[in-house]
Amino acid sequence: MILAPLRVSAPKGAVRFRSGASSSSSSSSRSRIRCAAAATASAPAGSTLYEELGLRAGATVREIKAAYRRLARERHPDVAGAPAAADFVRLHHAYATLSDPDTRARYDRGAVVATAVAQRPCPRWPGGGGGRPRRTWETDQCW
Amino acid sequence: MHLVTLPFPLLLPPSTPLSPLHPTFYSREHCLPKLLPVLISTRKKRQQQQGPPKSHLLVPVTPSQLADSCWLSVSFATFYWMAAEPFYTVASDSETTGEDKSQPSFPDVAIGIDIGTSKCSVAVWNGHHVELLKNTRNQKGMRSYVMFKDDTLSAGVTGGAAKENAHEERDVLSGSAIFNMKRLIGRMDTDEVVQASKALPFLVQTLGIGVRPFIAALVNNMWRSTTPEEVLAIFLLELKALAEMHLKHPVRNAVLTIPVAFSRFQQTRIERACAMAGLHVLRLMPEPTAVALLYAQHQQQLMHDNMGSGIEKIALIFNMGAGYCDAAVAATAGGVSQIRALSGCSVGGEDILQNIMRHLVPNFDSLYAGQTMDRIKSMGLLRIATQDAIHKLASQDSVEINVDLGDGQKVSKVLDHSEFEQVNRVIFEKVEKIINQCLADAKLVPEDINDVILVGGCSRIPRIRSLVLGLCKTEVSYKNIDALEAAVSGAALEGAIASGVTDPEGSLDLLTIQATPMNLGIRADGDNFAAIIPRNTTVPARREMLFMTTHDNQTEALISVYEGEGERAEENHLLGYFKITGIPPAPKGTVEISVCMDIDASNVLRVFAGVVKPQGQGVPPFIEVRMPTLDDGHGWCGQALAKMYGSKLDLAVHPKKLQP
Repeated sequence: MILAPLRVSAPKGAVRFRSGASSSSSSSSRSRIRCAAAATASAPAGSTLYEELGLRAGATVREIKAAYRRLARERHPDVAGAPAAADFVRLHHAYATLSDPDTRARYDRGAVVATAVAQRPCPRWPGGGGGRPRRTWETDQCW
Repeated sequence: MHLVTLPFPLLLPPSTPLSPLHPTFYSREHCLPKLLPVLISTRKKRQQQQGPPKSHLLVPVTPSQLADSCWLSVSFATFYWMAAEPFYTVASDSETTGEDKSQPSFPDVAIGIDIGTSKCSVAVWNGHHVELLKNTRNQKGMRSYVMFKDDTLSAGVTGGAAKENAHEERDVLSGSAIFNMKRLIGRMDTDEVVQASKALPFLVQTLGIGVRPFIAALVNNMWRSTTPEEVLAIFLLELKALAEMHLKHPVRNAVLTIPVAFSRFQQTRIERACAMAGLHVLRLMPEPTAVALLYAQHQQQLMHDNMGSGIEKIALIFNMGAGYCDAAVAATAGGVSQIRALSGCSVGGEDILQNIMRHLVPNFDSLYAGQTMDRIKSMGLLRIATQDAIHKLASQDSVEINVDLGDGQKVSKVLDHSEFEQVNRVIFEKVEKIINQCLADAKLVPEDINDVILVGGCSRIPRIRSLVLGLCKTEVSYKNIDALEAAVSGAALEGAIASGVTDPEGSLDLLTIQATPMNLGIRADGDNFAAIIPRNTTVPARREMLFMTTHDNQTEALISVYEGEGERAEENHLLGYFKITGIPPAPKGTVEISVCMDIDASNVLRVFAGVVKPQGQGVPPFIEVRMPTLDDGHGWCGQALAKMYGSKLDLAVHPKKLQP
């Protein structure tokens, strides 16, 4: 079992996924080249989706896309190795929510509530720790 | 050094665990991911560094004979005769853990393979650019078939090798060759594609009960049975030998392109065929995403040459070959290519060909009902004439078909575009549907598309071109991509990137963010399909959904995992099933069961399921299942489950949403 890198500061919305037990050569091969860059670049993640992307709340769609792309080059498992999967899922969730005007508006309105909910104790996956992130899994699709 | 040599395992009886035909050989947990051929030269070096090996596993090592150019003239039968030669070596598994990437990785670059229904090609990153490899006949696209003769097998890579033995199209259509394996692999006999394959010259026998079809090739007037996996493995073995001859070192890793419409089960079949051929699959890429990668590289190049603007570009990629048709929408900027939507179906040139054949010979089905030698020969003549006519129609307004089918049957007809389009109307409708679905899923309108990329053999058909371009409201397609070489070039690029190769000019500084092509979910609410990971979800992904019991005091629940687009579970592809047992007795609807699906970085699907309410010591532990678990007989399994359990173990989707 491989756990996603633990964050010392334990952000509120953090979740540790049990990523696939496959430390297969396919996923780790690329990491070797660029993992050094990824390690230094993983800035402490914030509790809001904006902070996850390293942006302020009023960021434009273009800034959101650019930030996502920049961070994807550091955190995508093809680059950072299989254990980074949870990291990337979180990044993508932030991007997916904020790049769609509807979900973004809903998130902006409910941001305060969402943080409160994320803190409540909830059932979690075996092997997973921390709280569950705020999920909008049916709208996550939006690009 | 621990090197123990074993005979080539294909020769072992299927009952021995060392035989690739034995079930445990591919038991994935212990063998398949590690089935990596190892370079002998690097082995010594590593063992000196790392000390004695920790444990042992079977690793195929290709003998140097394979690299010899003379190999290509050696038929597959000789391969069998070479049995006395050691083909497999036991090596330390510390060598396969990949702790050695500090060494120059160039010799280990994965090759890119495009296994087409009709033609295959292989390409590799040569340090500067992608190079397509040619066979001894100077072809880049090699006809996909395997010829069965007395005691020899030879694939289309060499095409019979020496000139006097060269296979011609009529030999391929004589019933002795198996082709179209990509359409047959991993399909059950109720599948319409398998049913349509009965019009091929070799034997495709179905029982219509949802198990694999029986296929056989004609050898000395006898049908000799084989499987699509075996045929593909033989083909890949020749392809691998071709690559080794060019590269002058053993090849072990490969990136293969697959159609979007391939189910996860079909993907495991491809992996198995590769394992039989001694190839480790680094990645299976949907064909249009391989093209998207190539496009991303072009855009990156333009940026470097200060010709690109650096703004996000949206490309619609349409690929139609002989067996499948796919579309993808990719957003590209800064070398990152995001797949926004994928769609595909199993419609291709083969369907067009069969439609025209049936149009030319209206009594086709009754005429070719039983496969006698005469009928096979006559059908082969018709096939060649039809194929030729379709190719000519791409550049002519009309084409005249004159063919003597023997036995008093003659076809003499002039075929023009309008007739051609009328006969294939259904196919064009399907093409339209997948393009529209792709655009809708990507939440884009045609005006958002910057480039339309048309690839695959069927993209040459004028009607297909005008249809796709029309739907995207543009007049010209993207020019800088070769329609037949794009997919394999993309696969070779991905092979180089995934092997950790870097390019000082930055032409490998690319990333593709992939998406799932099909809904993944379980059967719930009766026979409905509840999608947990919807199609076009970016991977890696993890989603969960809540379900509840449907009977009072229900203590067991059946989780049947499906993949597909149908609203009803049975319309989709059954990947596997398992039970949750020991559910605490409670009134119906009060027990909450969570099902979570996880696709990891290596595209492996895992399903986690268990009771989340009530909580406490009385509830059973969660279950984790790696999918697909089913090995065969998917259709049959689903029916058997329904017959045995009915709705006794059913679940319903819980109305409670998981998110706040």
